[in-house]
Amino acid sequence: MKRLFVLVFALVFLLSGLAFSGSKVYVSTWGFNLDLIDKNITKPFKANYGIDIVRELGNNSTRLTKLEVQKKNPVIDVVHFADYYAALAKTKGLIQPIDVSKLKNYDKIYDFAKDPIGGNYAIAYSVFGYSIVYRTDKIKTPITSWKDFWREDLKGRIALPNITITYGPAFMILTNELWGGKADDPSLSLAFDKLAALKPNVVTFYKRSSELINLFKMGEIWAAPVPRFAWGRLLATGLPLKWVNPKEGMLGFMSTVSIVKGAKHLDEAYKYIDFILSKDVQEAEAMDLVDSPVNKGVKVPKEIAEKLTYGEAQMKSLRFYDLNFIVKNRDKWLKIWNEKIAGK
Amino acid sequence: MLLVLPTISFVVVFFLIPLLMVFGQSVYHPPGGWTLWPYFSFFQDRVAREAYFRSIYIAFWTTLFAIFISYPASSAIVSIKNRSLKTFVMTLTVLPLMTNPVARTFAWLAILGRHGLINKLFIWLGVYKEPVRLLYTEGAVFVGLLQLFMPLMILSLVSALENIPEDLFLAARSLGANGFKTFIKVKLPLSKEGLIIGGTLVFTGSITAYVTPAILGGSKVLMLSTLLYQKASVVLDWNMATVIAVIMFLTTLFINGLLRRVGGIRKA
Repeated sequence: MKRLFVLVFALVFLLSGLAFSGSKVYVSTWGFNLDLIDKNITKPFKANYGIDIVRELGNNSTRLTKLEVQKKNPVIDVVHFADYYAALAKTKGLIQPIDVSKLKNYDKIYDFAKDPIGGNYAIAYSVFGYSIVYRTDKIKTPITSWKDFWREDLKGRIALPNITITYGPAFMILTNELWGGKADDPSLSLAFDKLAALKPNVVTFYKRSSELINLFKMGEIWAAPVPRFAWGRLLATGLPLKWVNPKEGMLGFMSTVSIVKGAKHLDEAYKYIDFILSKDVQEAEAMDLVDSPVNKGVKVPKEIAEKLTYGEAQMKSLRFYDLNFIVKNRDKWLKIWNEKIAGK
Repeated sequence: MLLVLPTISFVVVFFLIPLLMVFGQSVYHPPGGWTLWPYFSFFQDRVAREAYFRSIYIAFWTTLFAIFISYPASSAIVSIKNRSLKTFVMTLTVLPLMTNPVARTFAWLAILGRHGLINKLFIWLGVYKEPVRLLYTEGAVFVGLLQLFMPLMILSLVSALENIPEDLFLAARSLGANGFKTFIKVKLPLSKEGLIIGGTLVFTGSITAYVTPAILGGSKVLMLSTLLYQKASVVLDWNMATVIAVIMFLTTLFINGLLRRVGGIRKA
């Protein structure tokens, strides 16, 4: 099957190769906002460097699997991942360290974005916060802490992240810390106990942000942790909602770029990565609400900033957890989750 | 024979070979050679075992209810004489299959929710004072799957029933059989092929569905497909994902065989 895959891919890329001429960079990424990304990245990149970007689209797990299949003869040069999948790709030996001295814009990005998974295997080009949103008309005592999910007046009116989605493991580690555990405790026993006890009060452990928006809209839930990129859509429901900056801080998640091990167009790959970290591209992407910037020089007006993860205050409150630690333990956590939370 | 060659080669290349490769991958592990250990370890895990039997249980009830609702519905559709009306009804029938699974499932949230249609109705009728929890239960998963897969049952029953010449019923009646006897002795045996095909489709669909149980069951109803998703997409453990896929496949194969046997159908 692997050979067949390689053959099909080789054929596809050979054909697409014939269609273009000149230098190219093969980028594996998501299929969202492609028209905006073409406008902000593909076209100016071609104009500045004469390099065509050839995209391979799919979700994180599909694209990671494809990299694994092509491991011996990689087609892709640069890969975009959610931070967890970048760490997973690193563990599986699919990506190579980036020589950051080749990147002019490296010094211009926030520190947390510079080396999110260690060993310079990835650079974050975008970030988003994850925090509590609640109905101000239904919940009278303001929510100020992640611990408030355990409050009596929120009973039966909350949704929390499923451990299978991006936010799940970080939320569990945070919970462990909230109740006196350590962030590097691989058992997460406090978190699992606290969550098992809370379970009857939880409407659901959600898997999609679209699900979350529906639950708010239908009045099923009054409070839940929400990714910042869904905030604009939540506000559009017209409900009296508030975004909380909890005293423990917000959780932070990143979108990363990495260079595939054995990539054939290294020069082009470095140019591409440097380009998407530049102030101009980051600002254009932010203005179109595609991605929140990590370049410190980006300036956006207030009404745009409100829908992004942006500004010194928000950046300072972001909490990141060790992604390699999450990769190492996720299978075990899934098993405990299935037993204690999902099973019964 | 020559005419079926394209179909056969298509099935072999795009179905049988990949399937054998999947199965091979699940039992062959280079350092240790051939082993069935992953299958044992799957069933050793209590949670996995429960998820497996819950999936079968829900799929079983879905199939059974699909039969009981679809049979009269299909009979009614077949008896429609007006062609355009018939086409219209058939279109209505397959409509659920054509809507996006996520959108369809969200519609169920609106019906089964705390402030949903059913709770509002029951409170208005005075059956309950407070809204009851309908979402995120096995029942919600069951209803969602039933709506999703019943069209498959209706379609295969309609095509089976349409092939029965109407004269046969008249003949049975004229020979003294009452309505019930005609049904048991004539209609049912002649439509059982449709029942078996429909039953297999509904059962297979229900046991493998992911979106519907994931959203309507929430995290409180753990199904086999959820486990498969966890292994394949979250931790990328392809070996275990393959094992679960093969277990799913063998289960549906077994159910199909069982249905054929119950229906008394031999290999054609």
